Amino acid sequence: MIVLQLVVNGVLLGGTYILLAQGLNLIFGVMGIVNIAHGAIITLAGLFTYWFVTETHLSPLLLIPPVFIVMLVVGGILQRLLLEPLAKLGRSRELLTLMVTFGLSYVLVETALNFFGSQYVSLPDLQTTWSVAGLAFNEALVAAGALGALISGGLYIWLRYTASGQALLATSQNPVGAVTCGIDVRRMRAIAFALGTALAATAGILLILILPLSAPTADTLTILSFVIVALGGLGDYRGAVMAALLLGLVQSGVGYYLGGDAEVVVPYLLLITFMVVRPQGIGHATR
Amino acid sequence: MGQWLERRLSAPPTTPATAARGPRPLAVAILVAVIAGAGAMPLFTSAYVLQLATDILTFAALAYGWNIISGCTGYLSFGQVSFFGIGAYATSVLVLRAGVPWYLAALIAAAFSGVVAALLGTVMLRLRGIMFALGMLGLARILVVVASDWNYIGAAGGLTLPAELTPIAVYLAMWVTVVGAFALNYFVLHSGWGLSVTGVRDEETAASAIGVPTARIKTAAFIMSALAPAAVGGLVAWNRSFIDPPSAFDPTLDLQVIVFALFGGIGTLWGPALGTLVLVIVGEQFWAYLPDLQLALYGVLVIAVVLAFPGGVVGIANRFGWLRRRPVLAPTTLPSVSRPPQPAPLGDETIIEVRDLTVRFGGLVALNGVSLSVRRGEMVSIIGANGAGKTTLFNAITGFVKPSEGGVFYQGKSVSDIPSYQRARQGIARTFQIPRLMESMTVWENTLLAARYGKRGGDAVEQAAWALHTVKLDALWLEPPSKLSPGQQRRLEMARALALDPTVILLDEVMAGMTRDEQGEIRAVLRHFRELGVAAVAGVEHVISAIADISDRMIVLDRGKKIAEGKPDAVLRDPLVIESYLGKVS
Repeated sequence: MIVLQLVVNGVLLGGTYILLAQGLNLIFGVMGIVNIAHGAIITLAGLFTYWFVTETHLSPLLLIPPVFIVMLVVGGILQRLLLEPLAKLGRSRELLTLMVTFGLSYVLVETALNFFGSQYVSLPDLQTTWSVAGLAFNEALVAAGALGALISGGLYIWLRYTASGQALLATSQNPVGAVTCGIDVRRMRAIAFALGTALAATAGILLILILPLSAPTADTLTILSFVIVALGGLGDYRGAVMAALLLGLVQSGVGYYLGGDAEVVVPYLLLITFMVVRPQGIGHATR
Repeated sequence: MGQWLERRLSAPPTTPATAARGPRPLAVAILVAVIAGAGAMPLFTSAYVLQLATDILTFAALAYGWNIISGCTGYLSFGQVSFFGIGAYATSVLVLRAGVPWYLAALIAAAFSGVVAALLGTVMLRLRGIMFALGMLGLARILVVVASDWNYIGAAGGLTLPAELTPIAVYLAMWVTVVGAFALNYFVLHSGWGLSVTGVRDEETAASAIGVPTARIKTAAFIMSALAPAAVGGLVAWNRSFIDPPSAFDPTLDLQVIVFALFGGIGTLWGPALGTLVLVIVGEQFWAYLPDLQLALYGVLVIAVVLAFPGGVVGIANRFGWLRRRPVLAPTTLPSVSRPPQPAPLGDETIIEVRDLTVRFGGLVALNGVSLSVRRGEMVSIIGANGAGKTTLFNAITGFVKPSEGGVFYQGKSVSDIPSYQRARQGIARTFQIPRLMESMTVWENTLLAARYGKRGGDAVEQAAWALHTVKLDALWLEPPSKLSPGQQRRLEMARALALDPTVILLDEVMAGMTRDEQGEIRAVLRHFRELGVAAVAGVEHVISAIADISDRMIVLDRGKKIAEGKPDAVLRDPLVIESYLGKVS
């Protein structure tokens, strides 16, 4: 029974993790870079949600549409200003982009520190638990996991079955080929980054419902998202889903049997094991 | 804006006219005076200035450590603070539990940190650049957790150390550490060995093809970069008389170090020192007014430097002709060659043999049971339509691709267990279809790097000079590859191959994109390959007219299979060959 409960928790946790990873995956797939500020965006959104809920006592889920749209715009602007100038460079592009997002991360973290302080905060709402067939379903976990899966599924459908989504996929698979198909690759890059940051912000809104967040530890979320993406195979969407679920399950189990501190180390150990044993990740795509 | 950036990044690394062996005497004198003056400084200054100077030295040492792995080797590390913390804890434990004197403890801690780097390196340096950067970021986090739970080192409460160090002692110890870290950087940027590090940074694959043991070089650089932060960590722990996990593995230390090194000039000799000096002094004035924005401003500075002047202060100085890097081991003029290589002995044994070679990439069969050989004294051309598997064949012979079935034999022995850099050292040289030249090194240094790993042993300088004379690139010896025409770049690739003193050279489409005159120059070199000491040559080619008359034998591949072999004029008239290129008229 305990095992079943751990599995349920793990799957629901994995659902939220999927959302964490997809934003990063999108950016990596289309632009070939890892956004180090990813964790900072998640944290900033989460802290803002905390403030919003404690001030207005409205449901945090109301924030999702406006924040998503605002982040689309902000992400697009950031990409144009900070990252597009680097897109033309050859070899040094990867490293210099890492540096820029590294700098951006600290700007965002400092902003969060100044507005929200350095303490951990979490939302006490949605902590009711439903009991179904003897298993406990925590309302926050269910909401986050379900919404995460829903948004992720919507993203997948958009990418696969709509013209605009397919244009984005095409750009990530072969930028030169995409250009010859008449796709505006510059616009695709901006869209990818904007979407990636919007997804990160949404993940933050949902994450604050389950986990405590704090400004100084924002980069641990970057690492966590990166671990999921790397485990799944960089740029592989289905692999990322599998990796997110795997991570959720393993953390759920380890957290119960070995305690909180061991739980923290799980992502890194999983990553190192995979890097040694199967570097291309769980998924099938290669890059 | 992209073009503007591109121009900034393509500033030539060296001054063409003034290559001289070793540093200028005046520069050395100034450097010695500065170091001695810095050492004697505590005698003349106030406590405040001493503290500021100590801070500058602290960050300079950290920046020099970071510079080696991130700037010189090209593996960006966002977690060098891990070594800082390891050094801090190791020093403290040695002093508290083993009674070791503090300066000795710091040295032992540095050595221990080097060992940790060696172990970490075997896992992490196999990863791509992004993985390594984020892996290091995560490492610092893991270490905080581990340290917080480990009672022997004080767990979350940390360790308290007896206050024993005077400010002057700390200053002098930091001064020694900075001099040491600077010396390491000098070694990496100006020695023959250090050329391998730059080669790995610029073109890791090509470096492997000219004999550089890339894994070992990367690990050595990583170890070197771990020494300074560990020593600094030990000294800082003692100065503060207290360490605990958050302060020992504080990620904002990484941010500051990266900002300073980037601002000064990443991957340069003077960048870390200049950047630290300027930014610590400026910061001192600033932080009084804006204490809450320090991290944000550093972040903005990183972004601004990357977008506006990625070469840092040193990069800007280079544009005015200052602080330019001098080419490594370059004599005042290119020496004429007194001892050219011996002509290759005669004989007809098989140099390279490929037996039933099959290479599959997922579902695609690139090579399907191909068998061929290259014998001593002959030049073999390998032709075929695109997708025939020609480059895959070369990649399998040189070790860049693993065969799915079949074997590759060099001078009678199987090479399947021999890594690519060793095959190069044993005498298999190759050029690349798209020239992979080390862009931040001069023509001379590109060739010298290969010569260092050549079979000939002895004087690499002379071997490199001979190679450049042979391909007639001597006039351009101090130019960067970006200034060469495509034909000249291919000749440089040939010079690199010749510098290895190879037994066999594999040329991958060397004639592509060359003018008739340039083709003529290469043909002249290829006609006399036996006199140059090379036993055999194999060339993959599309420009058949350029190699048909100088080849002894021609092999044709079509969709992974060998379809013809023999004298060139017979092969070129073979109906199967014509059909593979032009298709069938039905």
